[in-house]
Amino acid sequence: MSGIWPIFKKDFVSLFRSWTGVFATSAFLLIAGIFFTFFLLAYSQLSMEAARQAYEGIQGLNLTRFVMGAFILNLGVLFLFIAPLLSMRCITEEKKTGTLELLYTYPLSDLEIVLGKYLSLLAQLALLFLPTLTYLGVLRVLGIKVDLGVVGAGVIGFFLLGATFLALGMFYSSLTENQIASAGLSFLTLMGLWILEWVAGFLPRPWSRWLNLASPFFNFRDFPLGVIDLSSLTYFLCAIALFFFLTLRAVETRNWRG
Amino acid sequence: MISVQDITKQFGPLKVLHGLSFDIARGEVLGLLGPNGAGKTTMIRILAGFFPPTEGRVTIDDVDFAKEPKKLKKRIGYMPERVSLYSDLKVEEFLHFVSEIKQIPRKMRKEEIQEKIERCGLETVRGRLIGHLSKGYRQRVGLAQALIGDPDILILDEPTSGLDPKQIIDIRELIRELGRERTLILSTHILPEASHLCERVLILNQGRIIAKGDPQDLEKKLRNQQEIVVRVGLRSVVDEDEEVRRLEEVLQSIPGVESLVKTTERDSTVTFLLYTVLHDDLRSEISRQIVGAGFPLLEISTKRLSLEDIFLKIVVSEKKGTESFV
Repeated sequence: MSGIWPIFKKDFVSLFRSWTGVFATSAFLLIAGIFFTFFLLAYSQLSMEAARQAYEGIQGLNLTRFVMGAFILNLGVLFLFIAPLLSMRCITEEKKTGTLELLYTYPLSDLEIVLGKYLSLLAQLALLFLPTLTYLGVLRVLGIKVDLGVVGAGVIGFFLLGATFLALGMFYSSLTENQIASAGLSFLTLMGLWILEWVAGFLPRPWSRWLNLASPFFNFRDFPLGVIDLSSLTYFLCAIALFFFLTLRAVETRNWRG
Repeated sequence: MISVQDITKQFGPLKVLHGLSFDIARGEVLGLLGPNGAGKTTMIRILAGFFPPTEGRVTIDDVDFAKEPKKLKKRIGYMPERVSLYSDLKVEEFLHFVSEIKQIPRKMRKEEIQEKIERCGLETVRGRLIGHLSKGYRQRVGLAQALIGDPDILILDEPTSGLDPKQIIDIRELIRELGRERTLILSTHILPEASHLCERVLILNQGRIIAKGDPQDLEKKLRNQQEIVVRVGLRSVVDEDEEVRRLEEVLQSIPGVESLVKTTERDSTVTFLLYTVLHDDLRSEISRQIVGAGFPLLEISTKRLSLEDIFLKIVVSEKKGTESFV
């Protein structure tokens, strides 16, 4: 398993020498900043109104859920657009340039190659997301108390959602030599999964339930509210394992396809 | 040292290699020679551990490649034909990456990389991005990565393809030097290159070994050989294998036939390619023998052209080979 580390490092460095990596990170952080500002302003407006009118609903207005919860929930949707940009190079680029041929002849197992690459994607996810936690500091400066447990659950949920998107993206990147195709396929699939939840709203009971269960966004929804549901946790872990396994199989097809 | 036993490789319906067997001795420099599409790269990739053969096996010092691929890959340095490297890494970074993968102990990495950089003449470009290097330098980086970890087996696929004549001369010099200390397998479609560098060559065509031996002898022999195509009907459907074997015996026993390859076998007919000495026309003798053994002879023709084709494709003259690169 010692081959994971060099692959991990090399992929991580490469991403930040490509325009996609830099673009994806900047775009994500910029839009995240806009979201945060927006939710914070909305919250202050609402709480001011509530104070003026002695509005009863203020009891239920929880800052952590209103600001951080909505913030993390929306980051999940934002990441739908960013994930394909991060994962599209993963295996595609190495297939196209032929460097994968070298990797296969080094003393590495397929598992080490795929695991190294996947872990590097996860590290990119962390690098993308962690700076947004400085907003907790902003809230603190403003003198607002935050329930860290709830935020923690949201962070876990976001990572699981992101890791699922990236595993799916990595799988598509192992199928083609064309980055645009790889990004396009994962984007379309993720969009489809997003729409699942809407479609579920129009359908009668048993169907809507099944569709919701299959939707990553439905499964993500409770995390930012501070609820870690075992079935949602299982959903994400299974999805990650599935796409990881499919990627491994796709990499093995060289044995009979050449 | 390396033993290749009855290797077949099939991609879907396409059979690329048909039962190749050969041995490579320790320290030998072996060339795989053949036109494009002969199966050289497929054979080389199997030897380098890129993919396993469909049938047959490769062993190195009696260790089966299929059973311990990781252990054996550590002993092999490989340079692919299309030297594809990470263009966004610097030369030194890339070599560092390779030395980590090949598990060179941390303390020795720097020294190892330095040695390979000097050996392959990369001092002046060590800090540059690989994507910005000329083809000749990239080839050198390709060689350097293969040499990391001092593997005792070096496999080079078309090491001089796409280089200009000056670069070709430099790379060949380097290869000759490397071949002095280790087992080296290289593929090429340029005959003089093989005779220049290799102690022994295998000539492949359509996935089969059609000749092997000392390159100078082979070159002479090839120039004086012709190919005869023989199509024979089989008598019974029950034991066709036995009949084919019998036919092979009969054909092999004809004086002047140097080697034969069975190409197709279907609808109760079988086709052989016979390689014979150019100057005697053996057709009448061959037909007499086949009919004498009781088989219907359906077709016989000389195909000197196709062998010339092979010549042309392997590039017999050096001048022609280098011209095409200019």
